[in-house]
Amino acid sequence: MSHTTNKPNLAVELAGLHLKNPVMPASGCFGFGREYGEYYHLNQLGAVVVKATTLHPRLGNPTPRVTEVTGGMLNAIGLANPGVDKVLSSELPWLAERNVPIIVNAAGDTVDEYCEVVRRISNSGLAQAIELNVSCPNVELGGLAFGVEPRILKDLVAAVRKHCSIPLFVKLSPNVTSIQDLALAAEDGGADGISLINTLIGMKIDLKTRKPVLANKRGGLSGPAVKPVAVRMVYEVAQVVQLPIIGMGGIYSGEDAVEFIMAGAAAVMVGTANFTNPYACLQIIKEIEEFMVREGIKDLEEIRGCAL
Amino acid sequence: MILDVIKNTNLTGDIWEMELTGPMLVKPIRPGQFINIRVGESHEHVLRRPISIGAVDRDTPSLTIVFRVVGSGTKWLSEREVGDQLDALGPLGRGFPLPKEGARVLIVGGGVGVPPLYELAREVRKLTEQVDIILGFGSGSDCFWEDEFRQLGRVRVATEDGSSGIKGYVTDAIPNDQIWDYLYTCGPKPMLRALKQHFDKVPIKGYVSLEEHMACGVGACHGCTCHTADFQETKRICKDGPVFSWEEVAL
Repeated sequence: MSHTTNKPNLAVELAGLHLKNPVMPASGCFGFGREYGEYYHLNQLGAVVVKATTLHPRLGNPTPRVTEVTGGMLNAIGLANPGVDKVLSSELPWLAERNVPIIVNAAGDTVDEYCEVVRRISNSGLAQAIELNVSCPNVELGGLAFGVEPRILKDLVAAVRKHCSIPLFVKLSPNVTSIQDLALAAEDGGADGISLINTLIGMKIDLKTRKPVLANKRGGLSGPAVKPVAVRMVYEVAQVVQLPIIGMGGIYSGEDAVEFIMAGAAAVMVGTANFTNPYACLQIIKEIEEFMVREGIKDLEEIRGCAL
Repeated sequence: MILDVIKNTNLTGDIWEMELTGPMLVKPIRPGQFINIRVGESHEHVLRRPISIGAVDRDTPSLTIVFRVVGSGTKWLSEREVGDQLDALGPLGRGFPLPKEGARVLIVGGGVGVPPLYELAREVRKLTEQVDIILGFGSGSDCFWEDEFRQLGRVRVATEDGSSGIKGYVTDAIPNDQIWDYLYTCGPKPMLRALKQHFDKVPIKGYVSLEEHMACGVGACHGCTCHTADFQETKRICKDGPVFSWEEVAL
């Protein structure tokens, strides 16, 4: 017999945000929520993280933009989005009615662009938090350029911070020498939390054309293949920062999510798994709960960072 | 959504025909729509395989897909047996708009672009008897469903090596003394471009079904986009398409 009082507590506090559970779709894998909203009620998610938003509209890279590799996929979408004003006027109002916290991923080519995008999102009142994208491997300017050099990252975060009155997360790239140095730089700059990892830069060659499959040649690797790298990096960041961490990279099951939590993550994001199974986030929430029941865990706090 | 395999046979070469049944068949299905099938049992394959719906049989009820084995995912699909179950999403995307009653219709398919045009031809045939069909293949041994199409209209076949029908491309098989109100087509991009050029000066409503590498298949990831004709915007092939008016998109 189960009693409601024995139900484990999946809720998490994340830099002042209250999430009913630690699971949210990763930016870029969930659009602005509408498409997966046809499959289930989005209010079952901890939060929704929307597609990277830039100051001006971006059409993205030439196709092919995506291809499968063993145990994962490569993408080079190139931050395609309708621009911050359209996102605020046409996309977020719909999502805001779904009764789920909204985290907007913000990207830019220059410090000024980042600041302006963040200012408009923060002032709109439509988002509960911002995730700063300093780790997109698929664009020439900006993105990753801000995410590999600790000093540059710290200055960017500090500049953006002044325009942001809601919690600010910084999403880190794994394509760096020391993830700890970048996490510390984000913390020094005034971030409220760290999310990681973005994709690893990869390539696939077509044996028939004898050229890279992706039009952009290089693309970001995601999916189960990257999970051990992601867990290691969450673990390393958890060793040095005080900020809450959102872990991601190849999460396909509740047990995968628990691994990240044990490595020190307060919450997790699910990306590629949504493509494999549109109900992936819901399944992962259910499996986390089942794991907690099985292991007699009442609150995720009991296991957060226990592997450290 | 679970679909049961009720038939899986090799049509020719590396082309397979699979018949499926399941609760998806209670939904309306438009010609040109596709299903997105999960392949393999592990996480080796993370992306589903989008495959056009070639025929819908409301009595059985069942739907038929045709696919080419190009890698380990489609190979796995070709190895499914009657009684096996597949996890598929669909029907997805926007299908072909149907012609006005009595209209003159030309349908042109190339290679594995042919199947969705079969279900279209069946629907078109309910509205008009004036249906011309041109099927293009690499070689006579690649041809499939020619007899099925012959039940629905006047069929011409073009093969690149001339081993069946006219030697050449589908554009070489278009009769010069006829006009049509609608053109429906699906196949390789160069074929679509050649057709658009062929009918450049002719008042004909053209609809193309486009293909691209897809990830989510539901419109969320923007992996499979194409440009609008003015190159000012993009359209998602999986969600806004795969069928577009050929005025609407850049080919």
